[in-house]
Amino acid sequence: MKGAERIEIDRRYCKGCLLCQYVCEFDVFEPGQERSALDYLMPRVAKIENCRVCGLCETHCPDMVLTVVANTEGKENP
Amino acid sequence: MNPLGEKYLRKSFLPFLFCPGCGDGMIVQSFLQAVDDLGVADDLAMAAGIGCSAWIPVYMHFDVFKGLHGRAIPAAIGLKASRPSRKVVVFTGDGDGLAIGGLHLIHAARRNIDMTVVIVNNQIYAMTGGQVAPSTGVGSRTQTTPYGNLEKPLDGCKIAIASGATMVSRWSTAHTRQLTRTFKKALNHKGFSFVEVLSQCPVQTGRYILGSGSPQFNLQWLKDNCVAVKDPSQWGEIEAQGKIPVGDILQIEKPEFMEEVQRMNQKVKEEAQAKGGDR
Repeated sequence: MKGAERIEIDRRYCKGCLLCQYVCEFDVFEPGQERSALDYLMPRVAKIENCRVCGLCETHCPDMVLTVVANTEGKENP
Repeated sequence: MNPLGEKYLRKSFLPFLFCPGCGDGMIVQSFLQAVDDLGVADDLAMAAGIGCSAWIPVYMHFDVFKGLHGRAIPAAIGLKASRPSRKVVVFTGDGDGLAIGGLHLIHAARRNIDMTVVIVNNQIYAMTGGQVAPSTGVGSRTQTTPYGNLEKPLDGCKIAIASGATMVSRWSTAHTRQLTRTFKKALNHKGFSFVEVLSQCPVQTGRYILGSGSPQFNLQWLKDNCVAVKDPSQWGEIEAQGKIPVGDILQIEKPEFMEEVQRMNQKVKEEAQAKGGDR
């Protein structure tokens, strides 16, 4: 099954709107306690194993800070 | 920063000046995705006026002209006239494009000049503090209509169709993938393409008109109120239900203005030469 290796959040530009958490159907994100460089509370990647790499969080991020890196393991031998 | 941003954004201008949860950033991303898919980055030239949405092209690393309030389309016409090979894109807001620059829109559409006009509609003058705009709904409470707005809102898509635009679409920021597809169509279309994007503005529209300043609430409002339809004949039916129809409305072929001008120039030159003139 398709999965994500990691989800990168650029802490320089994140404004903590949490739209990524809202659009995600699989509860990958949760509100975090860490602050970005702009002093907003950033989301935290809580359940990376749930991610299906649909890319909704990426396309809905208003500050373009999210990068979903898909898991390439097993692609050679499906 | 995601790979698209790394490739096409002006790093020295970041972070975006948009408020947290603003839809304008999503439009930047959808547009960059369309440009990346088509590979037309070197052919682009953009113009913008004044307003939140006029900042959209400023962050993209293409040729950008930022003009006066409402005068983005005349600047774009000049660009297109001097460099017909460029793909000219105008980013404008509902106040910029429908109120102050309303007539420019009508006349550019009437001539069918080959350009793409993206109107970002957030239903309010957001940058100046939340005054009533021509697209604000009836009954909305804003800073300048504290007891409710009495004016009927303007429909940009209908104006564009009536003025003679050859491609008209409307989407919202809750439809980012469809928006990317429409941007691709509009960039490839020969003629005047008009794309209206309904965008959430949590700070002004959300707090004063819809009742919540949360970006999630505002995105959900767009999802609940926009109905995607394939057949444009159903638009009236959906509007009668109080919802906003979205989708691709119109795509037709008509003679393009700048090509006609060049053809006429050629014809006049040939006629003059045939008569033995020195032109």
